[in-house]
Amino acid sequence: MSRWSYFARRVLLMIPIVFFGTTITFVILRMGPIDPAAAVIGASGDTEAYTSVRRSLGLDQPLWLQYVDYLRDLFTLQFGYSWVVNRGRPVWELIGVYAPRTIWLGFWSVMLPLFVGLPLGFYAGLNPNTLSDYVASFGGIVWRAMPNFWLAVIFVAVLTQSEQLFGFQWESWLVETNIVTPPELQRLWVPENFFGAFKAILPAALVLGSASMGNEMRIGRTAVLETKNENYVETARAKGVPGRKIVYKHVFRNALIPLVPIITGEAFLLLGGSVLVETVFSINGLGYLFYAATINADLPLVGSLMFFFILLSVGINIVQDLLYTLIDPRVGYGGEGA
Amino acid sequence: MVADSSRSDAGTAAEPADDRLLEVENLQTVFHTERETIRAVDGISFGIAEGETLGLVGESGSGKSVTARSIMGLVDSPGELLPDSSIRFDGRELTGLSETQYESVRGGGVAMVFQDPLSTLNPVYTVGNQIEEALSLHRGLSGLEATEKAIELLEDVGIPDAARRVSEYPHEFSGGMRQRAVIAMALACDPDLLICDEPTTALDVTIQAQILELLADLQEEHGLSILFITHDMGVIAEVCDRVAVMYAGEVVEQAPVVELFENPRHPYTRGLLRSIPSTQRGADRLETIEGEVPTPNAPATDCRFAPRCPEAFDACREVHPEPVPVATETADADADHTAACLLYPEDETREQAVDRHAIEDAPPGAGAVDSGGESR
Repeated sequence: MSRWSYFARRVLLMIPIVFFGTTITFVILRMGPIDPAAAVIGASGDTEAYTSVRRSLGLDQPLWLQYVDYLRDLFTLQFGYSWVVNRGRPVWELIGVYAPRTIWLGFWSVMLPLFVGLPLGFYAGLNPNTLSDYVASFGGIVWRAMPNFWLAVIFVAVLTQSEQLFGFQWESWLVETNIVTPPELQRLWVPENFFGAFKAILPAALVLGSASMGNEMRIGRTAVLETKNENYVETARAKGVPGRKIVYKHVFRNALIPLVPIITGEAFLLLGGSVLVETVFSINGLGYLFYAATINADLPLVGSLMFFFILLSVGINIVQDLLYTLIDPRVGYGGEGA
Repeated sequence: MVADSSRSDAGTAAEPADDRLLEVENLQTVFHTERETIRAVDGISFGIAEGETLGLVGESGSGKSVTARSIMGLVDSPGELLPDSSIRFDGRELTGLSETQYESVRGGGVAMVFQDPLSTLNPVYTVGNQIEEALSLHRGLSGLEATEKAIELLEDVGIPDAARRVSEYPHEFSGGMRQRAVIAMALACDPDLLICDEPTTALDVTIQAQILELLADLQEEHGLSILFITHDMGVIAEVCDRVAVMYAGEVVEQAPVVELFENPRHPYTRGLLRSIPSTQRGADRLETIEGEVPTPNAPATDCRFAPRCPEAFDACREVHPEPVPVATETADADADHTAACLLYPEDETREQAVDRHAIEDAPPGAGAVDSGGESR
């Protein structure tokens, strides 16, 4: 089947992309103004210590040799040790500590828009120009318009004073959670822990997903509006298909096609955007770690995290292609046929 | 070339209307816009007997497709059927049915083939899937049984290698193939009446001829009645038993097909026939009807064709013509030929004819609308 060979080709194309991504990362890190040896010894300015650090870090080697080592280490997943941020700790261990928080945050800030924004958009598209459509559409614009850094601060302010504002305390409501600390992610299979972790991440996930929620709502609405006026929908009606089945069989699947790149595109944004939100909510995730590593010139950490992010983006891309291939049988018919 | 016109006997006026499979009476479909109400279909009446093919012909914008959609119950807000309209199918009144009640009529009783086969099939499902959907809705078939029946239907409409084709997607079919698949899908519903809304307009000429032939064969095989909508007089001559000519939401002339071609009475029909290239051999220039179809936005108080009519006289701008029987020319004595034009009936003087139209225009049919109307 041509669809699946198309998909396989797309996956293979990801290999050179990972290669180029890592190469560009190396070039930027080594050609830029960052001097890791200076960062390691700190402000003392001791030249002898400086040269010995340079030697021990391998920075006196020729650049091409460093590049080969760098690539070899990354592709064999040997990320080495942190130099500055958390000196001597394996990068893997750091990722193990920080990544789950970001993944938990990212997961919910993709899921919330998906399960709130999309259904609202579809509903508005099916009932255009009604009061509920106006409410949903207006809400979508408002959500989209509020900048994350501002919304995050407002959320923190409102939730910490929920007692005075709404008469109940958010922190102790249902389960005990804090507003500005990393969520507890131990033993999530216990319902209580799961709910606690969910509640702890909810405000941050809402903030991070707010723009996506508005986007997906508005584009979902347009996609449904467009699809339900297609001729094949009228044909389906003309052959007596019940209204409900027309919506879920003939309208939804076609309306999803333009939404796939929107949803996966939002997932990319969350990678970069999470730094701000993580900072405000003190989540201490990968975004925070990456930020700290960059300003401290912790080269192995920055390089490894970049590699991690590149793999993540490529992964999201593959998921996007997979979704396309599943939803739209015309995939792989480049140019030919409508 | 011309279809057997003796079949049209079933549709003569003498017979009680209920005997015909489809009986449309005073159908008025309007669309409400912010500025005005567009009377896309304005009080048309016609009927189709069992096994008969009625051609509905007219320029773009004359209300042909809206008529088809009104019968299928596919007119959505801001469009609506005015309360006086009546569509009886197989003795059952269709106007006023709820959406759910209509679902059993659609497909099961009346199926429809649309104009553009490229966009009438859902691109994300296989052709077989879409035929099987109709089979499960109207014949209760599912699984392997449905697939077998779908293959059989595809073979019926002349798709080669149907067993393989059934699991292909619409984009893997050519235009003509797709229209065949759409027809197979309509047949899967096992309808009594097939509405074809310009089914050949988007196809090239050779494919067009094949599709017309296929429709004729299927009609014979399944005893279908067909409402054939087109703007192509050549196609009309080939497939129809009777013809209704539409102009600006009204039926201006209705006659058996041979009668209409040999003895067109309404000036509009004459104009249409004169603008067919193949009938005008030897002419230097092909005649056209100057101007465009007006968009009717108020109940008619005049003849809507008058501004473009070469034979218009003063009364045409003041009196709305009603369909009246006109003298027939063909051997078929009870040919049931009507025209809505102040020139007829021709055995009366012009004043008498105009008075007759003026009187006929007043009572029930249009009266109920006019009383609430804005322009009188």
